[in-house]
Amino acid sequence: MNNLVLTIALPLLGAFLLPVVMRLSQALGLWLGPIILGYGCWLLGNLWFNDITLPLSIALGGFDAPYGINLYLDSLALLFAFAVQLLGLICWPYVLNQDTARRQALMLLLVAASTGLALSGDLFNLYVFYELAAVATFGLVVASTTSAAYAATFRYLILSGIGSVLTLLGIALIYSQTGTLNLAHLAQLAPELLHDRLGLTAYLLILIGIGVKAELFPVNAWVPEIYATASSRLSGFLAGLLSKLALLIILRLLVLIFDQPEAVQIILILGILGVISGEFAAWRAKDMRRMLGFSSIGQLGIIFIALSLPDERGLLALLALSLHHLVIKTGLFMLADGWGGSLERLTGAAKRSPVGAALFTLFALSLVGVPPLPGFWAKFTLITELAAQSEPLYLIGLLVFLLATVIETSYLFRIVAKLYSSAETTTEQPEYQHLPGLSLATASLFGITLLAATVLIAPIGDGLQAIAAEAKNAELYIQTVIPVTPGGQL
Amino acid sequence: MRNLTGLLFAGGLGFMLLAIASGIDFGTPPMRIGEAIQSASPQEVGAANIVTSVVLGYRGIDTLGELAILFAAASAAGLVLGRRHTTTGTQRKGGFVLFHGGALIFPFLLTIGFYIIFHGHLTPGGGFQGGVILAAAFFLPLLARPGARLHHSILSVIEAFAGASFILIGLAALAEGQAFLQPMLNQDTLGSLISAGTLPLLYIAVGLKVGAELASLLSNLAQTESEQ
Repeated sequence: MNNLVLTIALPLLGAFLLPVVMRLSQALGLWLGPIILGYGCWLLGNLWFNDITLPLSIALGGFDAPYGINLYLDSLALLFAFAVQLLGLICWPYVLNQDTARRQALMLLLVAASTGLALSGDLFNLYVFYELAAVATFGLVVASTTSAAYAATFRYLILSGIGSVLTLLGIALIYSQTGTLNLAHLAQLAPELLHDRLGLTAYLLILIGIGVKAELFPVNAWVPEIYATASSRLSGFLAGLLSKLALLIILRLLVLIFDQPEAVQIILILGILGVISGEFAAWRAKDMRRMLGFSSIGQLGIIFIALSLPDERGLLALLALSLHHLVIKTGLFMLADGWGGSLERLTGAAKRSPVGAALFTLFALSLVGVPPLPGFWAKFTLITELAAQSEPLYLIGLLVFLLATVIETSYLFRIVAKLYSSAETTTEQPEYQHLPGLSLATASLFGITLLAATVLIAPIGDGLQAIAAEAKNAELYIQTVIPVTPGGQL
Repeated sequence: MRNLTGLLFAGGLGFMLLAIASGIDFGTPPMRIGEAIQSASPQEVGAANIVTSVVLGYRGIDTLGELAILFAAASAAGLVLGRRHTTTGTQRKGGFVLFHGGALIFPFLLTIGFYIIFHGHLTPGGGFQGGVILAAAFFLPLLARPGARLHHSILSVIEAFAGASFILIGLAALAEGQAFLQPMLNQDTLGSLISAGTLPLLYIAVGLKVGAELASLLSNLAQTESEQ
């Protein structure tokens, strides 16, 4: 069990050594990263299939939970940690140039940080990994060399910096009130120490700060620029996974510490605003990658609405929507690898790349929520849950969600129509790029995953239900991390 | 318009901070974890400097994360700086005082830097602080003689192996059947130079990594600037 920490330590080790190894032997250097990530996948996959009793807590440095830092592994954390390693492998920067060593080292750091975000059970440790992920992302985005990338990265740097300061302020406030940073310990103390105005302020600061990565409404101005300039693989990783990890942190805070109606309400409002702004901007976008970026803001807004739902079914909808978005958005960004730039260039592209067009249509259908594709089940769960709430704000959320689906349908199928249109009105076809083979293959992988999920929807639903029930159980978390009598000598 | 929103945001944030500050009870911090660590750490870890036992023992993985952040920042800066077009410009040498003063102070800076690193578990200071002083020692000659170059390949080897040895010390504990980054070896007498088990080794790794990282970053910056 202890070797779970290898999924964080080995990528860090590889990143430190990579520049030197690459100089000694390029072949070895190129294999180093994928081998480490492959080993991580194998390790976590083993945990998944072996019968171990989840959840469990691993003390790092040999100091027990509230004193040292612990890793907390439940099915949800395991699922995300596995997704990080796997997606890191899929989105690996294979490009060969003078910066390969640095770029791959940064990617390893990003994977290590993301795994840490999924597993860590300590508030400040989460902040450290969050910072590491941010800094590694700056480097990876700026590696795409264009001056637009510099401008985009600079904006991201500023916003992310503000977010970090706010988060740190929030954590400092929590520490000043409680004197501890361990999530489980905080969960024990929260009802008497943090459920007041000050605690709520701390929560808001952390929410806005972490929300920068989760593409939360007021702090998402970096999204379209970064996704338009970064490499598609990186955009896929950021939109697909890193945003969900930020969401995971917010979820843990909500379940464990800030279990109050006000905390949920602000998420619902920001989520609704995010859906409206994101979907309308996507509808107006003239560029494939920008459109995907804005649509990602809208999708995360919907996921935030799901996050604000009070019971287990809401969490189930959240998980289903998150995983669905992970598969779809990463796949779409892979397609954008060749189809980036103006949407006009896509006219009649289906003829030249039938597989790509078919995949795009499949993703679009599932994103909109056409049965029997998995997107339908995810959205259906959310709709029934929203409709079951009595508070009027949830009904507004429902209306906005339905409106968003209509807008989504409109802009996605505008592209599908363009792809399959035969009338080539413009005489000169501007430089049409073929989809690179690797990207197409990767996108196909996501397409196959989607189809497999369609067939296996019943067992997946049951599995997610169990994961949701486990993640919602704050008492279980506390008992796992601090097994002694709660509220004893601490 | 943009200025106005900026002003509003800053004003609102300031107001909020004031409101928060008025609500905090200064001077009486809750010491739930702090007190327990203060009383237990000399026996548990064996470092006379309790801050060190927190930084490398109780929260060792945070320190590893900080090292990784520094490494990521240096790599990202390398990506940006390494790409500038190079045009040879005139480089003026530093004056007599800077030149000889730099040469004179170099061994002292090295001594202080290593002293602070080696005594990190006994006195205030440690790997991060000592590493910065080491970097300054190597950067001073560059200021005095702009033509001089640091050996980037040697620096990157030091950097890589220092960072790797931090993790490997942690993994050694794991291989022994203990937890990752668990302090090992003899604790010896509290307060002597060789005490606190693996903690001094960790701090040496941190110091070398920070020093090499900052030195190569600074020389990167200096070269890019002088070449423009």
